[in-house]
Amino acid sequence: MCFRSASTEGSTAEAASSPFTTTLGSAATALAIGSIAWYYHLYGQEVHAMTPAEEGLHPTKYPWEHTKWNRTFDHQTLRRGFQVYREVCASCHSLSRVPWRALVGTTHTVDEAKVMAEENEYDTEPNDEGEIEKRPGKLSDYIPNPYKNDEAARAANNGALPPDLSLIIKARHGGCDYVFSLLTGYPEEAPAGAQIAEGMNFNPYFPGTGIAMARVLYDGLVDYEDGTPATSSQMAKDVVEFLNWAAEPEMDERKKMGMKVIVVTSILFALSVWVKK
Amino acid sequence: MGITDLFSDFLSSLTFTEAHAEAPSEEKNESSEESNDEGKDDEDKEDDAGGDQGEEEEEEEEEEEPEDVKPKLEEECANSKQCAPFKHHFDECVERVTEASEHADGKKGPHEDCVEEFFHLAHCANQCAAPKLWAQLK
Repeated sequence: MCFRSASTEGSTAEAASSPFTTTLGSAATALAIGSIAWYYHLYGQEVHAMTPAEEGLHPTKYPWEHTKWNRTFDHQTLRRGFQVYREVCASCHSLSRVPWRALVGTTHTVDEAKVMAEENEYDTEPNDEGEIEKRPGKLSDYIPNPYKNDEAARAANNGALPPDLSLIIKARHGGCDYVFSLLTGYPEEAPAGAQIAEGMNFNPYFPGTGIAMARVLYDGLVDYEDGTPATSSQMAKDVVEFLNWAAEPEMDERKKMGMKVIVVTSILFALSVWVKK
Repeated sequence: MGITDLFSDFLSSLTFTEAHAEAPSEEKNESSEESNDEGKDDEDKEDDAGGDQGEEEEEEEEEEEPEDVKPKLEEECANSKQCAPFKHHFDECVERVTEASEHADGKKGPHEDCVEEFFHLAHCANQCAAPKLWAQLK
């Protein structure tokens, strides 16, 4: 009190720093900081609806040659990839949007594609008696599905539907990297404590980590006609590039068109600069 | 992918190149030559045995040859210094979980798995192995 009475003679600033206001100020500051802390405690943390296992392991980025902006598909790779699809994947997965004629000039010659098409039977148009007969395939036919319909596919695969592969590279987050990682990413044994349903396989890249498809690509499964060693990662790389072609057959043309656009616009720009000068 | 490639691509996009869908006519000669060569190889290897046996042996040799480098590269990466912390966590988790599962008769604790630790380790190892793997694939 004595100090206070002495300070009353001083300036107003000194009066403001009386014990009462100091306490009030400190309390207000503490409240402000505390409210921020409480707010962040309540709302600040990011909320994940899914566990990492449910999200699946994000695929690693691989340095694909054909995805570079001035690179095309490697057609040797496409040919090998089609061989892998035909000998391995085609027993369960359809490729319903690709006709045999699309292979001509891309992976096979006309004669080779014709021979492959003729190995399959297709329905004819109804004849005079309304009967639908079978005929050998033509180039204009589409690559046949392994199953009659989705229900048959499910029934044959323990209830799981093998997806159509025509657009799979576009249809999956991660594209080429995802499919490659999925095919080669089956670990020898699932990590400790991981629970896998019956009939399922552990694959870290598949969302939920339980996938109905077992590992299919083993070393030396396919005999490549060009003598490339058929390791599982080589086969996976080839088939992924082939599926990328199946999903984006126009990619080469698109890149070429992009180049043409650059050429034409740069010429026009140069012309306009000279004209303006 | 050097700058020269860019120009050669540039040129090829301007000029008209023809893609041939037809098989080259020389193929027949090549295949006959190849078959001759194969025949010679068989004779060199086994004079007494027939051609069929020789072919079988060749196939077996071919089947043994390819071995995937991916698991090897990834294991090397997982054991490298770069992924040491993830490997340490994963190994610790595996030890803990296997121990817990062995003594889990009476207790009812929360179930634990090592999937997350496995993800971290696999992510590190794959990222490290990816360029090395691509250098070895065709």
